[in-house]
Formats: sequence, structure tokens, C-alpha cells
Amino acid sequence: MDELDLLKKDWNSENPEFKSYSDSDIYPMLYKKSFSIVKTLFYISIAELIFWLLASILPYFLSSTFKEKLETSYENPLFLGVNIFSYLVIFMFIYLLYKSYKTISSTDSAKKLMESILKTRKVIKYYVVFNLTIIFLSIPLSFYFEYNENLEFHKQIVEFSTNQMLVLYAFVVLVAGVFLILLWLFYRLIYGVLLKRLNKNYEELKKLEV
Amino acid sequence: MNKELEHSFVELLQKHQNIVHKVCRLYTNNADAHNDLFQEITIQLWRAYPKFRGDSKFSTWMYRVGLNTAITLYRKSKRRINTQEFDAVEFKIKAEEYDDTEEQQLKLLYKAVHQLNDIEKALVFLYLEDKSYREISATLGISEVNARVKMNRVKKKLKTILNP
Repeated sequence: MDELDLLKKDWNSENPEFKSYSDSDIYPMLYKKSFSIVKTLFYISIAELIFWLLASILPYFLSSTFKEKLETSYENPLFLGVNIFSYLVIFMFIYLLYKSYKTISSTDSAKKLMESILKTRKVIKYYVVFNLTIIFLSIPLSFYFEYNENLEFHKQIVEFSTNQMLVLYAFVVLVAGVFLILLWLFYRLIYGVLLKRLNKNYEELKKLEV
Repeated sequence: MNKELEHSFVELLQKHQNIVHKVCRLYTNNADAHNDLFQEITIQLWRAYPKFRGDSKFSTWMYRVGLNTAITLYRKSKRRINTQEFDAVEFKIKAEEYDDTEEQQLKLLYKAVHQLNDIEKALVFLYLEDKSYREISATLGISEVNARVKMNRVKKKLKTILNP
């Protein structure tokens, strides 16, 4: 007799070792806290949105010199363009996130469900990549603005020798690079831990289709 | 949510709770983890319930949500349903332990099933529940042929675990 058939015989007999829940046991369960991966992902994406929004808005309210500087920067069409573009992108991401969360359904097949979750995670990933790119670009860009607007800074830079300029550039790129790598590793860690099991199971299902 | 909906859901779940218990039995290895997973599956079932149209059987619908929760949705909280730890211990099943008495054999079988990965467990679960390959393939999202092939492999794997 097949091993599984033996198991089947036992499986379908009544299992007295399970605690049978009554109606009054089940009612409170409906309103308990969920430990769902989708919920965690949702909170992470909300936190991302809030974090990057605050990061761009807060300095404006906290520092008056920054506020002044920013207001003069807005006269520059390039700066204004980048800003408008980044807000448009944020709204686009909110829409995309909303759309992909809507497609996650626990009544889909296992594979489809995993795919929708991974797709949502991808949207969040692209948002992160977008923000990191903006940061990376904003470093040389702010350098350029300072150079144009800040006379003292301009004077200092003009006096720099070629070698000094090279060192300065290298330093800026290095700082930006290290900052980005650290942030990237941080994200990899969060999603790596959160989605490790899901990725493993998804790979297992995909392997079957080859 | 209105009370009527809640009432009908609780009544149905109470009646079919054995399905959820069976999922928990395969995917967890202690009573605390079992209860935690039961709780999470209940939440997921309840959330999906308004969309349950009744065009499929409640029990069939439960298999899907139950397995999806165990395999994909459930984020092991404070108490983990870590099969890895379990495997390390259970891998020590020796050939001489293989007793002929049915009860002993069953115990070893359950231990062996616990060593399978999440997807393999889902296949075994649906097989034990007498689901057709068509249903198995629809629940997991793989083709019927692949479900069959994989099931045969799982059977072989179980044999190897039992007779190393």
C-alpha cells in the first residue's frame, strides 16, 4: 500500500486532537491583528511615501535660510521642472501602488497571489530607485546652483587648481556613492527578510513549469 | 460589516473548521504556532468572505484561502512556524525505527511530511483531501500535468525520507 494512502486513511478519520472552536471562540478572532505579509508591505510603502515627502518638505518649514534659498531656486526653470516632475512621479506611484494592492487576492491561485505581491514589491522598489536617483542627481545639481548663486562659494571654486577640483569631485561622488549603497543595502535587508519565504516558494512553483 | 454576514461566516467556519486545522497541522509543529496560523487564516477568510459568491463550495474556497495564507500571506510573528528547525531534528529518522505497526508508521509518515517544502506540503494536503488534479492545478496555479509529475516526485521523496 502506498504510504500516502495509509496517511489518507488516518487523515480523513475524525481528529480528536484538534481543539474544536465554538462560535464564541471564533467571533473575537475576526477582529484580531493580522500578521499578513501584504499588510507589512502596505505599511512599508506608506512609510516610504511619507518619508520622502517629509524629506522634501520639512527643511522648507524648519529652516528660514533654506526657505529663502529654495524660493530663489524656484526661479530657476530647471529646478522648478525637477520639482514638479518629482511630485508627478509621487502621484503616479500612489496610483500604481493602489492599483497593485487591489489585485492582491487571497482567493487567487497560489502562483497568481505570489505574482501580485511580487509586482507590488516591484512598484515600491521602483519608487525607491527613483528617489535614490533623485538624491544622486541632486548632489551635483545643488553644487551647480551654489556655484551660480553663492558668490563666495563661486570665488573659492574659481581659485581651485585642477587637482583640487578633481579631489573635490571625487569626494562628492564618493560620499554620494556610499550614501546610496548604504540605503540600498538597508532596503535589500528589509525586503530580503520579509519576502524570503515567498521568493523561495515562488521559485519552487516556477521550477515546475519548466 | 453587518451582523448577518458575520453570523453566517462564523457558522460556516465553525462547521468546516477541520479544514483549517488540517492546514495548520501540516504547516506548524507546535500548539502555539498552530493556533496562530488558525487565527490568521480566520482573518483572511473573513476579509475575503464578502466576495465569496457561493458559486463554489465554501469548503473548496477555504482550501484556497487557507493554503494561500499558510504558504504566502502569513508572516511568522513572534512564534515562528519554522520548518527548518524542525527538519534538523526530524532528519534523524532511522531505518530501524520503521516499525510495522500502523500507528508507528503513521507517526513516521507525519514526520516525513513535515520535512517537505511548503509547495510539496500543499500538494500532499490536497491529495489527502481527495482533490482532483484539476483542482490541485487550479489551486496552486500550475498545469495539471505538472501537478501530476510533482505529486509523483513527492511520493518518491517521502519514500526516500522513510527508507534512507
